[in-house]
Amino acid sequence: MKNEESTANPPRGGFLSTPERPATGSERVVILGANGVMGTGAAELFAAGGFHVVMLARDRDKAAHALAEVQSLARSEAIAEQIELGSYEQDLPRSVAAAAIVFEALAEDPELKRAFFAQVDRYRAPDSIVATVSSGLSIAEMAQGRSESFRRHFLGVHLFNPPHVIAGTEVIPHAGTDPAVTAKMAALLGKRLGRRLIVAADCPAFAGNRIAFKTLNEVAQLVPEHGVEFLDYLIGPQTGRAMAPLATVDLVGWDVHQAIVDNVYTRTRDEAHPLFRLPDYMKEGIREGRLGDKTPPAGGFYRRGKQGVEVLDAASGRYRPAQVPGPIAFVERMKALHRVGRYRESMEVLKTAPGAQADLARRVVLGYVSYALNRVGEAAQSSTDIDTIMSYGFNWAPPGVLVDLMGAGDTVEMLKRYGLQVPAILERSGGRKLYAGSVLDFGRTFVG
Amino acid sequence: MSQPAVFILGGAQTDFARNWSKENKHIAALMREAVLGGLEAAAIEAGEVQTAHVGNFAAELYAHQGHLGAFVLEADPALSGIPTSRHEAACASGSIAILAASAEIEAGRYDLAMVVGVEQMKTVDAAVGGDYLGTAAWYEREARGIEFPFPKLFGRLGDEYDKRYGLKDEHLAHIAAVNYSNARRNPLAQTRNWYMSESHASRQSRYNAIIGGRIKASDCSQVTDGAVAIFLASQNYAREYARRRNIDLDRLPRILGWGHRTAPVEFEAKVAESRDNPYVLPHTRQAILDAFKRANVSLQQISAIETHDCFTTSEYMAIDHFGITRPGESWKAVEEGVIELGGAMPINPSGGLIGAGHPVGATGVRQVLDAFRQVTATAGDYQVEEAAKVATLNIGGSGTTSCAFVIGR
Repeated sequence: MKNEESTANPPRGGFLSTPERPATGSERVVILGANGVMGTGAAELFAAGGFHVVMLARDRDKAAHALAEVQSLARSEAIAEQIELGSYEQDLPRSVAAAAIVFEALAEDPELKRAFFAQVDRYRAPDSIVATVSSGLSIAEMAQGRSESFRRHFLGVHLFNPPHVIAGTEVIPHAGTDPAVTAKMAALLGKRLGRRLIVAADCPAFAGNRIAFKTLNEVAQLVPEHGVEFLDYLIGPQTGRAMAPLATVDLVGWDVHQAIVDNVYTRTRDEAHPLFRLPDYMKEGIREGRLGDKTPPAGGFYRRGKQGVEVLDAASGRYRPAQVPGPIAFVERMKALHRVGRYRESMEVLKTAPGAQADLARRVVLGYVSYALNRVGEAAQSSTDIDTIMSYGFNWAPPGVLVDLMGAGDTVEMLKRYGLQVPAILERSGGRKLYAGSVLDFGRTFVG
Repeated sequence: MSQPAVFILGGAQTDFARNWSKENKHIAALMREAVLGGLEAAAIEAGEVQTAHVGNFAAELYAHQGHLGAFVLEADPALSGIPTSRHEAACASGSIAILAASAEIEAGRYDLAMVVGVEQMKTVDAAVGGDYLGTAAWYEREARGIEFPFPKLFGRLGDEYDKRYGLKDEHLAHIAAVNYSNARRNPLAQTRNWYMSESHASRQSRYNAIIGGRIKASDCSQVTDGAVAIFLASQNYAREYARRRNIDLDRLPRILGWGHRTAPVEFEAKVAESRDNPYVLPHTRQAILDAFKRANVSLQQISAIETHDCFTTSEYMAIDHFGITRPGESWKAVEEGVIELGGAMPINPSGGLIGAGHPVGATGVRQVLDAFRQVTATAGDYQVEEAAKVATLNIGGSGTTSCAFVIGR
């Protein structure tokens, strides 16, 4: 308090009308595909950030159903006060014309998206931003054929599911995006919506999915040889991830997994190319409707059976009761060290454990480090950006942290031993700490 | 003042949104990360720390672990051998640990003390946790067999205001909304990405149930896992520290004043005692006045307050007890926007216990760390402009133990 008078005559307005939190209605966001998972997630994010949100779907009933989902995500009925509902047919022209941001969250179908963008191009206000939610489609291709103004104001935003829980976000400009638009969107997502974001390149699967799905698919390729429970145990949370890899694929959905790895496999040719080839047993499973957690009767790597959890036998395509794997001494040692916050010591155990099983775990972890840091300059601008997206998008230990904990010199030596590429950034590091964050930032990625 | 100066050299807090049980972590990990983060943030070598004090309420219950002072040593071998202790005064445990550490510095025993506040609460479900928290009241009389005793006790604080002066729940809802709004600016706040609006907080609904008495879910602080470490130093150490960092000693914040009072443990006894007093919790008022007097400041010199909003009613109480309004008129400050970020007297720019989270034993330390951040202009998006002196108020029980600090230069 500066003086007595200031109490007597305080600034008026209060909570909902400060410049940083504009009153309801002053900033409008239109969400296309508002009844999809990302549509509802985005609606909740924008409304929680103080925006007025228009949720559009094929018909009003679908939009109304989506609103109930938004209320459930927000744990608030009152969030509806910031939300309008509508259908494409009746409300798109008017709502798009009045919006500061058009947020497209339709299904990952380039033709469908393009058809909507043609309409958006026709009705949008000249300075409005058009964002497409995609997990890896080409942003530049989606902008083709649109007006110059549209192209300058168009970019990709990759939210991770569920967005109200996972803060990691990629912003993906295409070559024609106005840098000021990218900066404005990044500031808005960071400051208003609490996103931990990076600017990623417009390349297949962008940065986060490219790096993560390389490891996830690599582990899936190992299933016929090693089995589901063993792999999820050996390369489990103790290797620096909140969730074991095959359980993650079940959560994501096998069809989504396929779309991502096929996209990268078809459109890139990097040092890990063969690791993006979808395993045959997964192709077969997807044909039979086995998509993971979203298809409970068919299952995924796991299935809830009458007698408890069952796991997929990749060779036969049948399920059998899950067995408790291990214990393997070095895995148990790592878990015990994480439980008391000794992450460096745990990585020392991983580095030095003897035997073929430890070799396999090291190969996968080091493969992740190598592949992730090799994407600097290609999928992301810096190793810090890659650390951010792996940490806040996937809850995986950032590659920079793994290098710092294992030691840059030892990491390089191990990468060579396993025939993995040594990223240029590691060769140049000269022993400097790679991870830019605090020791308080990454502990959550090492589960006990 | 002839009392030797106690400097604050900063520190760090864990991300209060984390669930350490989900990470399958022992409380040792929680403390270790806070200590290592604090050492890193303050640029202090572990080997320099001479004494450590831990504030914690109920690790014996929540984590089946006592003797927390000793766990400080787990952070770094260089801490081996230092004297440690643990302090408990319910939700004021953190402030008591700060008082103990600062007393040692004032007495000239040590030059550099570490204070760690810690609580791991997500080890149990809400009902069990509520029962554990009941031990901060007179358990047999006020909590045993009662579901969520504390919301009920602080609901009664609201009722007492209502009886004496009148109280509208809309003012409580506004307090909740301000705290949540501030928390969105704090990257370590538990609720930083939660939805909240004044409208939501105003109404009982499916998602905003009555927890006890007039207290709805939106009036409550959070169940939080968290730890905070800060460093207190003598003038000798601070001078050397400032020299090392090439800054002027005068730029380092100090504990300018402190207050520490205790009221009868039972809520009924408190109310009976204050029947003829304009202040509902006069010992809390006195703790604030003591801190101001020792700091030789008046409210007009305070830039912001970090107060104990375990419930909206406790922040409502703090407003008049700090003297921002006359007794019973806290609603005026609420209506006039005084307590908001950008207002004349921002309260809880961090989001407070409602927005930032309330790891019980860590809260008092977190408040002082946030006060440090404000007066060193390092509070980021929740910075109060030109904050020079910031006051804290940390309360244990139903207004039983009250601790206040004035932090500044």
